[in-house]
Amino acid sequence: MHRRTDSTAWTSAMALALCLASTPGCGGDGGGAPTEPEKDAVLELPGEIAAPDRPVTSVEAVEDETEALADSLIEFAEVLRKRRFDEAKEWFSPELVAHAAVGHSEASRTALPLGVERIKYDVEASAGVGRDGFMDSLRSLLGEWRSVDSMLWKVKGASFQRGRSRWGRLDLKIHITGVDASGGMVSVHGRGDARVTRTRGRFLLDQLLLHKWEVERRSAPIFTEVAASTGLAHTWARFGTDANNSFHWNGAAAGDVDGDGDWDLFVPSDDQNFLYIAQPDGTWSDEADERGVGSPDRGTGAVFFDCDNDGDQDLMVGHTGWPLAGGKMGGERCRIFLNDGAGQFTDAPGGPGLQEPFVAYTLTVFDFDGDGWLDVHVCGYGRVDVEHNNSWTEATNGSPNGLLRNLGTDAEGRFLGFENVAAAAGIEDVRWSYAAASADVDLDGDADLYVANDYGSNRLWINQGDGTFVDGSEDQGVVDKGSGMGASFGDLTGDGSLDLYVSNMSSTAGSRILGRLKEDIDAETHALLKKLAAGNSIFTRDGDAFARVPGEQGGIGASWAWSPALFDVDLDGDLDVFCTNGFVTGELAFDT
Amino acid sequence: MVASSCSSAPESGKFAREEVGNDGFLARHNGQIFAEGRSFSGNERDKLFLNDGAGSFLDLSDLSGADSPNDGRAVIAFDADDDGDVDLFVHETQRERHAMYRNDLGTAPGFVKIKLRATTGNAEAIGAQVEVVAGDRKVSQVLSRGAGFISCQAPELIFGLGGAPAATVTVRWPGGAVEAFGEVTLGARVLLVEGASEAEAYGAAPRPLPDPKPRGLLVSVGDRIAPFEVLDAAGAPVLIDPAATGERVALNLWASYCAPCVAELPLLEEWDAGEDMRVIAVSVDAPSDRTRALELLSQRAPALGVHLAGDPRPGVRSIQDVVDLARLPLPTTLMLSPDGTVEEILRGPVEPR
Repeated sequence: MHRRTDSTAWTSAMALALCLASTPGCGGDGGGAPTEPEKDAVLELPGEIAAPDRPVTSVEAVEDETEALADSLIEFAEVLRKRRFDEAKEWFSPELVAHAAVGHSEASRTALPLGVERIKYDVEASAGVGRDGFMDSLRSLLGEWRSVDSMLWKVKGASFQRGRSRWGRLDLKIHITGVDASGGMVSVHGRGDARVTRTRGRFLLDQLLLHKWEVERRSAPIFTEVAASTGLAHTWARFGTDANNSFHWNGAAAGDVDGDGDWDLFVPSDDQNFLYIAQPDGTWSDEADERGVGSPDRGTGAVFFDCDNDGDQDLMVGHTGWPLAGGKMGGERCRIFLNDGAGQFTDAPGGPGLQEPFVAYTLTVFDFDGDGWLDVHVCGYGRVDVEHNNSWTEATNGSPNGLLRNLGTDAEGRFLGFENVAAAAGIEDVRWSYAAASADVDLDGDADLYVANDYGSNRLWINQGDGTFVDGSEDQGVVDKGSGMGASFGDLTGDGSLDLYVSNMSSTAGSRILGRLKEDIDAETHALLKKLAAGNSIFTRDGDAFARVPGEQGGIGASWAWSPALFDVDLDGDLDVFCTNGFVTGELAFDT
Repeated sequence: MVASSCSSAPESGKFAREEVGNDGFLARHNGQIFAEGRSFSGNERDKLFLNDGAGSFLDLSDLSGADSPNDGRAVIAFDADDDGDVDLFVHETQRERHAMYRNDLGTAPGFVKIKLRATTGNAEAIGAQVEVVAGDRKVSQVLSRGAGFISCQAPELIFGLGGAPAATVTVRWPGGAVEAFGEVTLGARVLLVEGASEAEAYGAAPRPLPDPKPRGLLVSVGDRIAPFEVLDAAGAPVLIDPAATGERVALNLWASYCAPCVAELPLLEEWDAGEDMRVIAVSVDAPSDRTRALELLSQRAPALGVHLAGDPRPGVRSIQDVVDLARLPLPTTLMLSPDGTVEEILRGPVEPR
């Protein structure tokens, strides 16, 4: 066993002094004076943490207790992330026996791609420490980091003893990320069992047995965030305040609107639109108002494409609108802005298709009828403010999807706009559609379409070549029932054929509950629920259909995931995956 | 389905339990939990998965520098600076942030950049599938405009060569015609026109993205700080004009949970009481921590004015036009000249002057 020999000398006072001297932003108790720890003795750890012999059996009661515990650990993790060590101590019993956060012998050191090093520690061979020793080990691990960016202590499973004096055994996952003293990116992954006691309404951990403790490190980040120096920085009201409280989401589009060869960006927002024009000096300047796309705001998906075949990039912006009595429309209709070739836009009527209301999210450009005029598929979601999905697994009360067929230009070259032919094409689906992606999946020369639906199964619309589509999702193995949020095609296996990446929602609580429900529900339902909690999906093209890539191959472990992007981050010849993630993170400030 | 994924909820799991059930969680809790600064499926950071070439992935999110917790929605992966690697633009929901991630891995393994023009179908060749073979690696991409989630990609495909000196390129055009364009060498930028059979090179137009501003700051040395709004002790908005004092100003950003910040409050108070400098100390505490911040301020530096970072209001410059609260190291102190120009940026505790 290897452990620090000077642990008794490592006092809170020293840790705090180090923190003050070397670590901007390093926390500690805001006003409290450091205290002398008790002598840090080596303690015997139990071989395992006993499971309750009279466990609470009601799933609901267990989940209530687990959730209260999980909430308590969220609060603890935030205190620890801010490095208020003296305060964090209050979550541990004075009788704590635990594996420390540092001082274990190395089991292996692995060189991973891109200069990443992974060290696995033989934590199970280490002796235990008491509460002060444990807190010292956390100080030792984190005290000198430049920033602690993320601190998660998640309850992956728990069982509780019945009776008044309640205690429980939990499966705990620890995940810490940040920037260490030398500027390296660090990530700590721990897993273990813990015993928790509820005393006077408060949870106290009194035993912690780690069986996994790994650290990954890279000397520098892969990406540098440069929004502020490039003119793209924007911040607006905190989510949940009056100015920013709608549950509809604003997208982004890239294109060369002024024909100068670099990439401009259109970013619709709830407060204003942005048209960021790329400048030669590497910055962008917002010219939305000057160039005619400043309003209306609150757009969702947006796409650049040449709708009138005049050689420049026009802009379609999705909005959420809905039918009212008397043929009127609530909300906002989708817009098409025509480019004059120099990057000045005019809000055009857009034909009958753009007079219809859609609760539009992702817009997907494709030429579904092969006539050389680009058409647009509109994902119709639902109005979350007034209606609710009528099922969690196969909701059918969403807003209809649209297929905006491009009508081309008249004899004078005037753009005629679009007509909605979704019904005739057989794809006026009323699932809660969030996202779509198009490719010629069956290689027959026409454009097919995959649509990811929330609260249900997804659709792979196979183009019949005659202006209609049939659903091939079952045959092709890409139903992917769940909460579909995003979809992209790309060759992830390096065989030349296009695979499919689908982002979904998943949750720790969902998996935890499922673990307990296993005996109470039938296998089919359990498998479905398990799928709903599993994460993203990768479907690899395998002959004439797709096959789901097993979860063990990775690449799917997101939580509430949104947009996937498939690209080669390290130029090594294969496509990697980036995926936006998370619903609403409510903290005002992060003390990075 | 997300039954309980709140992340920084400080008090109870009440809302999370109520959410289980199809009764309009979002609408009912809108303006409640989020207004309080609480999370729902929060602190779930954006993900980066590295492909091993055979379809297995390594999760590098934590080390990516692009794992923002600010609830990303749209993402565009494109070569923003024309240096040959792929950068990321992310539109985030929390505070409507725009994030631009410059890829700093370098282009040593080599790349080719491809634009397309069709002559038989849609001229932009949307839906075309391009296959590139470089050494023992093969990979295909499709030209998409509108995929992922509410994201429109740039009409340019970037292929890594993995160290190979050249690659062979084949296009499956919309309509199904397959055309070989032969070999393209490392670093090439080419336009592939349907029917031409030969790649047409075009020149690079690099526009390096400037290095980031000092972490957490939206201003640099030399920038003048225009008037901005904060909250007073009662939560009422107050406009602060650093130039109004006609004196040098120390603009200090602090938080109750930051020990060095709290420790230096008396020194800042001393500066403020001096003859040649005014101190504007702004607490960036979350609403839930503001009471603690006020207590600490009254204990440690009762003579300092109370300034709290609040939520920005439409059309009004706020402290968040000066600093990015999500990335700001604490304490940070901006030393301003009498006309409000940033002269010096102090990171960490200030020294006695």
